[in-house]
Amino acid sequence: MVDFNKPKSVIIAGVGGQGAITVAQLVLGAAWKSGYYVLQSEVHGMSQRGGEVNAQIIFDKVPVTSPVVTQGEADLLIGIEPLETLRYLSQMSKDANIIASSEPVINMENYPKIETILEKIKSVEGAVLIDTLKAAKELNNKHAGNICILGAASKYLPIANEVWEAVIRERFESKGEEVVMSNIKAFQYGKKFTEA
Amino acid sequence: MKIDHRDMMVLGDEAISYGAIDSGLKAAYAYPGTPSTEIVEGIQAILKGNEQGRIASWVANEKVSYEMALGNSYVGFRSLVTMKHVGLNVAMDPFMNSALTGIQGGLVLVVADDPGMHSSQNEQDSRYLVDFAHLPCLEPSTTQEAYDYTCHAFELSEALGVPVVVRLVTRLAHSRGMIKRKEEMTAVESLGVPKAESKNDWVLVPAIARKRYRKLREKLKKMLTVSNAYNKTSLSGHKRGVVLSGMGRAYFNQLCRENPNLKEYNMLNVCAYPLSLTNLRKFIQSSEEIFVFEENYPYLEDKVRDMGQGKIVYGRRDNSIPMDGELTPLLIKNCLGIEVGESKKIPEFEIPSRPPKLCSGCGHVDTFKALKEALANLGIKDPRIFGDIGCYTLGVMPPFDMISTCVEMGASVGMALGAAQAGYEPAVGVIGDSTFVHSGLPTFVSFAKSKVNVNLVIMDNRITGMTGQQPTIVTDVFEKMAESFGLPPEQIHILTPLPKHHEENVKYLEKVLSQKRPDLIIFRRECIQALRKGLYKEIDKPKE
Repeated sequence: MVDFNKPKSVIIAGVGGQGAITVAQLVLGAAWKSGYYVLQSEVHGMSQRGGEVNAQIIFDKVPVTSPVVTQGEADLLIGIEPLETLRYLSQMSKDANIIASSEPVINMENYPKIETILEKIKSVEGAVLIDTLKAAKELNNKHAGNICILGAASKYLPIANEVWEAVIRERFESKGEEVVMSNIKAFQYGKKFTEA
Repeated sequence: MKIDHRDMMVLGDEAISYGAIDSGLKAAYAYPGTPSTEIVEGIQAILKGNEQGRIASWVANEKVSYEMALGNSYVGFRSLVTMKHVGLNVAMDPFMNSALTGIQGGLVLVVADDPGMHSSQNEQDSRYLVDFAHLPCLEPSTTQEAYDYTCHAFELSEALGVPVVVRLVTRLAHSRGMIKRKEEMTAVESLGVPKAESKNDWVLVPAIARKRYRKLREKLKKMLTVSNAYNKTSLSGHKRGVVLSGMGRAYFNQLCRENPNLKEYNMLNVCAYPLSLTNLRKFIQSSEEIFVFEENYPYLEDKVRDMGQGKIVYGRRDNSIPMDGELTPLLIKNCLGIEVGESKKIPEFEIPSRPPKLCSGCGHVDTFKALKEALANLGIKDPRIFGDIGCYTLGVMPPFDMISTCVEMGASVGMALGAAQAGYEPAVGVIGDSTFVHSGLPTFVSFAKSKVNVNLVIMDNRITGMTGQQPTIVTDVFEKMAESFGLPPEQIHILTPLPKHHEENVKYLEKVLSQKRPDLIIFRRECIQALRKGLYKEIDKPKE
């Protein structure tokens, strides 16, 4: 366990149906397995019908009691949809890292120009934009995007590689070894985006 | 029985599920309602294939749930009933009176409030209703407490002879954390029916009810002894004091991690109700400035203000925290004057909201389209439709603009009928099948007997869609039901909401809506989410 003097907080943002809660549960599971105290808050109910969805995770080496991050103080944003990434930027601290997908979910009429959104994200200090569409193509796995982003984000979380692989394995085990391996591959692929 | 897997990562709701099962639960009843749904879902999942006579069941509505739990208690078993805050309005009658009858087997009501109205029509605070019923209540602030307090609640219920309430809020219900379960699971055992000498206690005719009410009030002292054991006070001599409950307690404790000086404040942790006013008075006297952090009405704060004349009190009443909406760590930080960390510099950009919407391919879409066009063809350009609670409430949004009201479960039927009787014709109400069973049925009796141009559209997807596709208690019976209530067959219509039937549905509706009579129009098509998950296999299994 890595020592830190304040809890680590992660926000995962996306659109209902995209799998934001699954990504959150992987982070939660990995932090738990690493021996941290951890809490997660998530959105259920009607928002899941294509609306905005977010989950927040706080972990620490001492017991955590709040499942909610103080607005403006979160450490890491995992944005699996660009407009939703922009929406949750206001939750982030000055030094926060942001890992964002460039692939929009356009299920509304007034969706802004995607080029503008991506430009805005790029202009934010500490933001890394990932072309998940390209990743999916290269990995030959259309579901690779989320795990790829998680791989990139893992650089900023004090969690060992084997723990990540273990939680990915647990999560996808029921779908067979092939799915497990392709997700581990996507995770490793994503890690490259944040390697120094 | 020994419990093997004691450490678990669960939702707050699921912590309640485990607590109930580990306490010897015989039966749990509920109607689905966010954020309480996952409690009974959790029990069903945990018991699956190993029920051994234990029950976790969806029933018609919260009143029915409560009554069934009470019946289960009467015959000596431990029972659980769960609902969202507005569900308690529906269950209010048995809830109030069960305080007088008392219980036999432990009876626990878990009610989940929704401050911030994430998925609700109001943010009422259940603590007032518990107070109103003169019942005890436990309020957890973490998943572990949600588990522990559920276990305690069954014990307390039997010790005090009354139902015990566990109050949750959305943030706890839907947060995931660790629990450590007890070592031993309590066996499912009946205490038997009430003994002969006390069996009349349950018959609330005036002469007995008066005695029972007095008896209930006499239990206050015992209830206070219990709550005092939960509500820990620490006095340090600091000039500041905090009164904490539920998520207010959780957030404050978290803030102590980075601001250790907060630990020096005088503290009153309120985890159980009723709250001893003697203790509260003592606490108030100890501090000059008092902060009250609770979710969501200023329930404790008002008591503090009443008693703390001359003290400076910070909370919702003075707008230190807004009167409405969810409590947050940021609000508490600001209220306490703690510096907030520097936040990210972000680009200026107007971010449009992304509201939830009906799924692509949903039958409700076709129903709204047909209804809108039919009304337009009849010259009604700005139709007012009496709506209800379900996915179809999303019909309020463009391009539909077809829901004009959403009040409470079942309101569409009564409101459409009332409007029609006042001369607003054609009056149209829309309601889902599950909501109709929940609270539309009694009104439908009057509807069927009426002589006005009122039209009830049942958007029938044969399942409880919005809360996660739980089964509706009955399916495919509304037409028969309507007929037996006296609605002639020619006033009962079944249509299929599919794009290919649009034209014929519009024409059909035009005809029906022009008739001066009550008409029941059932638009029946499966929920596509449930269809994808294969959930109709169970529903359509031939009944034995």
